[in-house]
Amino acid sequence: MSDAHDSKIFEVTRRQVLEVGTIVSMSGMLPAAAQAQGSVSQPTPENGATVRVSFQINGQPGAMEIDARASLLDMLRERLGLAGAKKGCDHGQCGACTVHIDGRRVASCLTLAAKVDGRTVTTIEGIGSADALHPMQQAFIDHDALQCGYCTPGQIMAAIACVKEGHASTPEDIREYMSGNICRCGAYVGIVAAIQQAAPQIERG
Amino acid sequence: MTQEPTADRPRIDAYEKVLGRALYAADQPITGLLHAMTVPATIAKGRIEAIDATAAQKVPGVVRVFTYEDFSQIKTTPAARGAYGQPGKGHQPMTSPVVRHRGEAVALVVAETLEAAIEGAEAIKVRYASGPFSARMEDELASPEAEPDRQLSSGDAQAAFAAANHRIDVEYLHPQQHHNPIELISTTAAFEDGELRIYEGTQAASAFAGGLAGMMGMDPTRLRGVSPYTGGGFGQKNGIQEQSVLVASAAALLRRPVKLVMPRGQLFHTASYRPRSRHRIRLGADEQGRLLAGLYETVQQNSRYDGFACDHGANPPRMYGYRTWQGSDRIVRVDTQTPGHQRAPHEHPSSYATECAMDELAEAVGMDPVEFRLANDTQNDPITGKPFSSRHLAGCLMRGAEMFDWNRRRREPGALVADNGGLIGLGVACGSYKGSMTAAVTTLRLFASGRCEIATSGHEMGQGIRSVIAAELIEILDVDPTKLEIRIGDTGHAPQHITAGSWGTGSVAPAARSAAMKMREELSALTGAPLSEEPVHVQLARTRRLSLEVTVNTIPLGKDGQVIEQLRRGIPSTTGPEYPEFMAFSWIAHFAEVHVETSTGRVRVKRVVSVADCGRVMNRRTAESQVRGGVVWGIGAALREAGETDPRFGGVLNNDLAEYVVPVNADIGTIDVDFIGEPDFKLNMSGVKGLGEVAMVGAAAAVVNAVYNATGRRIRHLPIRIEDLL
Ligand code: FES
Ligand code: FES
Repeated sequence: MSDAHDSKIFEVTRRQVLEVGTIVSMSGMLPAAAQAQGSVSQPTPENGATVRVSFQINGQPGAMEIDARASLLDMLRERLGLAGAKKGCDHGQCGACTVHIDGRRVASCLTLAAKVDGRTVTTIEGIGSADALHPMQQAFIDHDALQCGYCTPGQIMAAIACVKEGHASTPEDIREYMSGNICRCGAYVGIVAAIQQAAPQIERG
Repeated sequence: MTQEPTADRPRIDAYEKVLGRALYAADQPITGLLHAMTVPATIAKGRIEAIDATAAQKVPGVVRVFTYEDFSQIKTTPAARGAYGQPGKGHQPMTSPVVRHRGEAVALVVAETLEAAIEGAEAIKVRYASGPFSARMEDELASPEAEPDRQLSSGDAQAAFAAANHRIDVEYLHPQQHHNPIELISTTAAFEDGELRIYEGTQAASAFAGGLAGMMGMDPTRLRGVSPYTGGGFGQKNGIQEQSVLVASAAALLRRPVKLVMPRGQLFHTASYRPRSRHRIRLGADEQGRLLAGLYETVQQNSRYDGFACDHGANPPRMYGYRTWQGSDRIVRVDTQTPGHQRAPHEHPSSYATECAMDELAEAVGMDPVEFRLANDTQNDPITGKPFSSRHLAGCLMRGAEMFDWNRRRREPGALVADNGGLIGLGVACGSYKGSMTAAVTTLRLFASGRCEIATSGHEMGQGIRSVIAAELIEILDVDPTKLEIRIGDTGHAPQHITAGSWGTGSVAPAARSAAMKMREELSALTGAPLSEEPVHVQLARTRRLSLEVTVNTIPLGKDGQVIEQLRRGIPSTTGPEYPEFMAFSWIAHFAEVHVETSTGRVRVKRVVSVADCGRVMNRRTAESQVRGGVVWGIGAALREAGETDPRFGGVLNNDLAEYVVPVNADIGTIDVDFIGEPDFKLNMSGVKGLGEVAMVGAAAAVVNAVYNATGRRIRHLPIRIEDLL
């Protein structure tokens, strides 16, 4: 994303949470259908004890008052309308919810939303666009490294991290370091090939 | 008839998927959404005596707690849960105080946030009166059915077996398995535009109108099933789920949209699964290795209350030229939820048993397993005597053997040793899957601008069905794929069939193709001349029309117009494998190379080669992926997966992805795929047979046979684990 100059952190109260959604939606990161319908997921009242978090998400500042029990995954999906990260287990066992915090991959289902206070979060919506795919996204298409596509956002986020961690130099390394992301459709051969294709481009970049 | 060579195009919906923009059921942005959570039963059988919801109701944010008392108006009809097209009494949890299997929902908590719903569900207290039960077919109260589901025979197999020079008599055990698509099963119900919309990742969007409407006493036309993307189905999403009607009823009672994403741990107890089965197989051959007799008896678990037939005997007699055959399949009733179709539902377990038995018999006869299979090849079905519409199994075996370098195999187990001292084993096995089709209703609209819209029957769950539709439209109309909109999996656009049984491509390809051909006809009628080489939309523009629309009902071979009505009502109606003039199957041969570490017993599958005869290949790239996926499933079945039922409590002990182990990236080596690519125009105008399931059939057996070749151990249960080889 190219909005780095916009560094103003919005401090919002519960009543203003909707504005956060609006800010996020203007940044063009929402699923197309959400924009078309103009119905960014409505904030529901936060019921339990809440905490205030402010963060950078996909290059945009954001802040909200959120249920202290909420996971980062449920914050993204149910509050911010960022449905790219998927829930496949909610237990840290499948990798479908993988996102980056400060550039490192995490299982967002196992990360409390409260923990992203002051951090930078990147999701699948923040790495490329339809006109300018991230090299890893293009490589997944080129090698048909997906079938149903449900694990794919998590695989791509894990794959980018795998390269940046320096674990993509051999197919064996890739297989090992991508084994936290289950693909039940069995696209593993394509995933390894995709990472091999994208790794040099990402390293150069 | 034209025969397009296998096209290699990017999967047409890959962009949406890599951008994270494909919206699955639980991703739909819906205003004012409430969140639900279920409370699972902690007994396997009995009655609810009391439910205390006081604490739950006090949890901030909880809107309502539902129990069976709120849902007694829900009707359980034979069609209610889809029942997989088979007659069944059915059991819908939460419509009475009766509990019929562990883990079924006993309460549904609806709240403003997911966190509140979960806390509320955890605060519910339930008192039960539990009764005696058996959850496994080996246990005391399990009830074998008196009559077999199916008996196929030809000739006097008993006598032929008794007289055979070489005989084997073995029993194979297949465990319970769980589909575990990565998309969690979920239901979102919302009243929108005067209709009840059910957003659920499904292979059967019409099942909502067909089944749910009846359960809720609603007009079926007011229910719309929406599932444009399903995050993997594998058969687990081919009917209404246990929670579907509960969520829909909650939304109706609250007049608010409600979403429930089922926790994976609960799905092991509420969704379908592949039932445990036992397979006794006796095979006899003469000195030359000709198959004289096959006797095959199987038993399989089922729930107490639904139809899910034991059908293991359907394919094995069709694999080779058996002189005589006798088979019987029987079910045993236990106290669990109803099992169902899981990728290659019976073909996988039966191919595992019979293809391993073939390996044993080849050994007994002293023949190479590939030679042995080739020597028993047939072009006619031994049971009905009918010819196959097409069968290139010998071609699959020969091409695969060459790609795999099968000749390096040594008959002596453990003869090949890797550099690190591991034992190398090579194995082969074959598979088949019926060639099926179902009806479709297709509307195709061409715009003068070049835009093209198609709405048809079928669901995308990873098999690449959109790419198949696009391939036919591109071939016949040369439309621009970037201007193509494909609407599937939504009863608001077209009636939807259950997309399963590998009939998706065989149904949608002819549907798209015939709609495209009708478009050419109509356009030429409109222009008053045969179509030129110019793009079709340019020719349309010249008529000064903005758009042209055609609608086509496709009726599969051997059926009549009634199937369209059945399709509209969500009733499954499919053909195959038997047609008036022939039997239709897809075929495959798998070759597996395993390395077994002698000190640890660890098995690695280094390489698999699979060659399939699935008729015409619609998209080489997605087809290869589908076969690789099937092989991964075969490897998972051979070495990893088993649901462990606790006989004391009736639940699955390993009910999560850490304990129910499925293959991960590090488990998978090289998988090389090839296709025979001969179209089968006897079956349909597109020349396609199915691929998604045959891809898996025989793959596990190839791995097991390779383990034998490495170690000399015949392991007759799955999965093969380290302790079996130490
Ligand atoms: S949903 Fe987070 S790891 Fe599975
Ligand atoms: S593409 Fe379906 S789970 Fe990976």
